[in-house]
Amino acid sequence: MYLGLKEMWHEKLRYTLLSGVLLLIALVVFMLAGLANGLSAGNRQAVDVWQARSVYLNKDANQTLTASQLKLTDRDKLSNQPVAPISVLSGTLRTNKNGLKTSISALATSRNSFLMPKVVSGHAINGKHQLLISAALKEKGFHIGQKVRVGTTNRTVKIVGTYAANTYMIAPTAYTDTSTLNWLKSLPITTGKRQSVNGFVTKQATFKNKHHGGLEKLSIATFINKIPGYSAEQLTLNTMIYFLFVIALAIIGIFMFVLTLQKKPLFGVLKVQGIGTNHILAALLTQSIAMALIGIILGLGITVGLAQIMPAGLPFAINWPQFGLYGLALLLASVIGALLSWRTVAKIDPVVALG
Amino acid sequence: MTTPVLALKQITKQFGQGHTAVQALKQADFEIYPGQFVAIIGPSGSGKSTFLTIAAGLQTPTSGQVLLNGTELDSQSEKSRLAFRFNEIGFILQSSNLIPFLTVTEQLKLVDKLAHRSFQKERATTLLSQLALTEVATSYPNELSGGERQRVAIVRALYNDPSVILADEPTASLDTPRSIDVVKRLADEAHQHQKAIVMVTHDQRLIGDCDVVYQIEDGIMTRQK
Repeated sequence: MYLGLKEMWHEKLRYTLLSGVLLLIALVVFMLAGLANGLSAGNRQAVDVWQARSVYLNKDANQTLTASQLKLTDRDKLSNQPVAPISVLSGTLRTNKNGLKTSISALATSRNSFLMPKVVSGHAINGKHQLLISAALKEKGFHIGQKVRVGTTNRTVKIVGTYAANTYMIAPTAYTDTSTLNWLKSLPITTGKRQSVNGFVTKQATFKNKHHGGLEKLSIATFINKIPGYSAEQLTLNTMIYFLFVIALAIIGIFMFVLTLQKKPLFGVLKVQGIGTNHILAALLTQSIAMALIGIILGLGITVGLAQIMPAGLPFAINWPQFGLYGLALLLASVIGALLSWRTVAKIDPVVALG
Repeated sequence: MTTPVLALKQITKQFGQGHTAVQALKQADFEIYPGQFVAIIGPSGSGKSTFLTIAAGLQTPTSGQVLLNGTELDSQSEKSRLAFRFNEIGFILQSSNLIPFLTVTEQLKLVDKLAHRSFQKERATTLLSQLALTEVATSYPNELSGGERQRVAIVRALYNDPSVILADEPTASLDTPRSIDVVKRLADEAHQHQKAIVMVTHDQRLIGDCDVVYQIEDGIMTRQK
């Protein structure tokens, strides 16, 4: 340890540059992880709020909510535990007068279902053509009492309440009841049990009997993975992150190997004096761990700093346990990288030092 | 006299097999006692380096015995030979065997760290002043002259209080006055502090202070003085 740290201190430039490379890698890892988290949250937040266990969709819908067409009567095929219908309309939320316009995911369920968000201001939906909006929309200028249009029809609904911000498919959500959404969708049937819905969400229901017709049961995890684009985004970003671990390992491994080759004569002299392979390896490990720690800690600091000044539209979320894990993975990659020089160090023959 | 610090008995070292075999050492006998300054002289390729590597346990002889303080070195494991080298043998090599990124004092601190003990400040100060190195105690090796570097190497070798010091052409990179100075200091250490010092050299002029002189030629070692 003494040997390793003293050398770093004496060769500041060399080791600062190498720490800098690790810092950049750590920074990219943390930024990608933050983006992956942000995108993930943007897609699934509303679903996480439900705290549900399964979703039932039309079995021909390819496990996609928007593609699933069911009727409210299909609920009868499920056992009696809490089952809530869910419908979705991805569209714009706009006002008539002051020209506010934004993309939303409009969700609908029955008025008293457990999927209805907890209202924090205003009141819950208690009549026709009412809308609850995510707090995020309030920040954009929408407010309680406002008449707004959803989608492309000219039909208006009234904002009656807001709830803690959440998003679905990267757009802020708005909630209404099933009938109102069907009315906004200009569907022919907007009342009664034959109304159209996209799916049913439950906390634990199972099928009542074998005759569950066209329904398919999905776990919430599968349901989230099937949100359009979700798994593709996550897979892309996570693959990049995993490759960066390999790159960190390779960079440390290559640098340490080159430095070891350069220092072969010195290591030979050390071995002559009875300072063995283990001591030399300990010095290499100390150095790579020190550089990795510097890089990881600075990279984390810069990531947190950047997160403060990022534009609000950029989906970015810090997940500390995950960042901790990625930091450890980078550290582990550095340790393995340094250990790659083990054979070279072990094979240095002290006899060469005696010329 | 007492038992020798280092003794080589009937050492033969053969490289290669069959008709390409080369005998670098042929049944060499050697011994050194505390307080002795012994020189081994011979031209290059005569087997001097082989002698040193075998004496230090860096190579095993083809036949014969190496005894360090009465313990046979060859029968030891690689690990305990390493510990033996660290504790019992001090090295002074041709060019500097100093670590480039440690100051003179830190070179000594490292020895203590590896031996798991605290820095022996007094011992360091005494040794450095004996070899006129007090001024450069905080300098790095590349800031020292060749003579100073070799003197630091002597301090480094003595610092761990080894049983025997092996000096491999310690004056190879020095001019004549500095060579004579370095050899004189080695002789002083041997005579005044009862150290056993072996110096390998090809320079006949430097053996005046030596108590015993061996000559190696074509692997055959003969005592001359």
